[in-house]
Amino acid sequence: MSLRWTRWAVAAYLLFFVAAVTWPGILPFNRVEPRIFGMPFVMAWHAGLLMFTGIVLYLVDRVESRERKK
Amino acid sequence: MERWQVILAVIVVYLAVTLGIGLAAGRRSSKSVAGFVAGDREFGLLVMYFVTGASVFSAFAFLGGPGWAYSRGAAAFYILSYGVLGMAPWYWIGPRVARVGRRMGYVTQAQLLVGRFPSRFLSVLVATLTVVAFVPYITLQMSGAGIVIEAVTDGHVSFAVGAGVAYGIVIIYVLSSGVVAVGWTNTFQGIFMLAVAWALGIYLPYRLYGGIGPMFEQIAAARPELLTPPGLTKSGDPWTWGGYSTAILVSAIGLQMWPHLFMKAFTARSDDIIRRTVILFPTFQLFLIPVFLIGFAGVLFPETPPDPDFILPFLVLRTGLPALVVGLFCAGALSASMSTGDALLHGAASVVVEDGVRPFMDLSDKQRRTMMRVLIVVVGLVAYWQALDAESSLVQLLLGSYGIICQLAPPVLAALYWRRATTAGVVAGLLAGAGTAVFFFLSGELRPLDLHEGILGLMVHIPVLIGVSLATPAQDAEHVAHFVESGTDPLTGREAHHA
Repeated sequence: MSLRWTRWAVAAYLLFFVAAVTWPGILPFNRVEPRIFGMPFVMAWHAGLLMFTGIVLYLVDRVESRERKK
Repeated sequence: MERWQVILAVIVVYLAVTLGIGLAAGRRSSKSVAGFVAGDREFGLLVMYFVTGASVFSAFAFLGGPGWAYSRGAAAFYILSYGVLGMAPWYWIGPRVARVGRRMGYVTQAQLLVGRFPSRFLSVLVATLTVVAFVPYITLQMSGAGIVIEAVTDGHVSFAVGAGVAYGIVIIYVLSSGVVAVGWTNTFQGIFMLAVAWALGIYLPYRLYGGIGPMFEQIAAARPELLTPPGLTKSGDPWTWGGYSTAILVSAIGLQMWPHLFMKAFTARSDDIIRRTVILFPTFQLFLIPVFLIGFAGVLFPETPPDPDFILPFLVLRTGLPALVVGLFCAGALSASMSTGDALLHGAASVVVEDGVRPFMDLSDKQRRTMMRVLIVVVGLVAYWQALDAESSLVQLLLGSYGIICQLAPPVLAALYWRRATTAGVVAGLLAGAGTAVFFFLSGELRPLDLHEGILGLMVHIPVLIGVSLATPAQDAEHVAHFVESGTDPLTGREAHHA
């Protein structure tokens, strides 16, 4: 993926993140059941977003560092 | 030996090791101001990772985090969201800040701003905002240390002595070694904190409920309102969505504007290290999960602590843990307090000297270093005096500090990315935004939709910054090129076609 598209994709993802943890975007995920590893669904939702963001940032870094080497 | 004596012994050993690491670290750094404030720009990845993580996670995360989950339930989840949201843009902003800093010789955030927007008034304004936001924060860290030590020694070591000794040690190693000591001690403290949080976060739910699942089942039956955002307010009423959502936004914006984060970017050995720190940051954030589990474990506990922030030491002392483990926990909590406190003390003193005094006085390198040391002691004493004052209104003010700190975001972004921004625009915007934030902080009932005062401040700040900038003459293109350069557009990755 080109640098340009990568950065747009990350910006879009971060906006999605903001929407998914604030009102009203959080509402569909704002429940206790089904519980995941014993935790309320909405707590696991936050943890999942957190981990997924780590992966996103890692992938971005791969594209960015490849570009920097050029 | 009695139980509290064993616990105290563990704490003493921990404090001695911290002091030893702090003093040893300083022997390698140079004696200049750059060495004291920016560590000769030589931090590696491991140290940077823990410096960033440990200083962002403070006594607030370690004691306040469980306290929030315990008393306000899912309201605490806002802390889970804002950290990563706040750090992700730093992947791009951080290296840019560091590059400009290296090229122009900056060691503080205000120097960067004043470099782009020359104004001694702006320098003093930023220094003032920084100290106003820092002192209550340091006070809170000290209180955290005092609370923990007093609680786990059954009051044999008083709050005043506990906080005093812990911060006496912090001041000694910061004085002797500056930021290098902060780096190495934070690495040690960060590892300690992580281990303690995970161990307790899993142990307590098992010990008290037989597992994480059974714990949440019981809470869902008894107190279901605690399990879904926006949770409760401090007084136990339901929190509003407006308050919850804007708390996330303000904290995410504010997080990357804390002046000590900039100082850390200036200390990084290379841009790659800053970037990798950001990528690894979510791993640090996950540490909040066990922290919240600890708080939830207290919800159905039959006894009530004197204050929600005491829930962690309260549970640890009442669940039959061996004294050695309680001592280790206590050291973990002290880590959280001290690893933020040291960076803040060091940051506040550096900012006062570099941005508050230096624009008006010609000082030699040695004089500045001496002045910083004196100020570290002065700021430490002011915070300590506030910590002892139980009725202190400063802790209240802390709640407003994110609202003020996030007003630094528009000037910083304008300095790095917007060519047309002018000094007048930035100063006017900052005054309007900070004024609005303070006004709504003091008269909270006037806030529309319960929006955070920091967001209301930004809503005034940004239009004023843009409007006044456009109404005043543009800056010299050559001057701007020192800050808004590096050839590529931040979003498209294309070469920029500006003068």
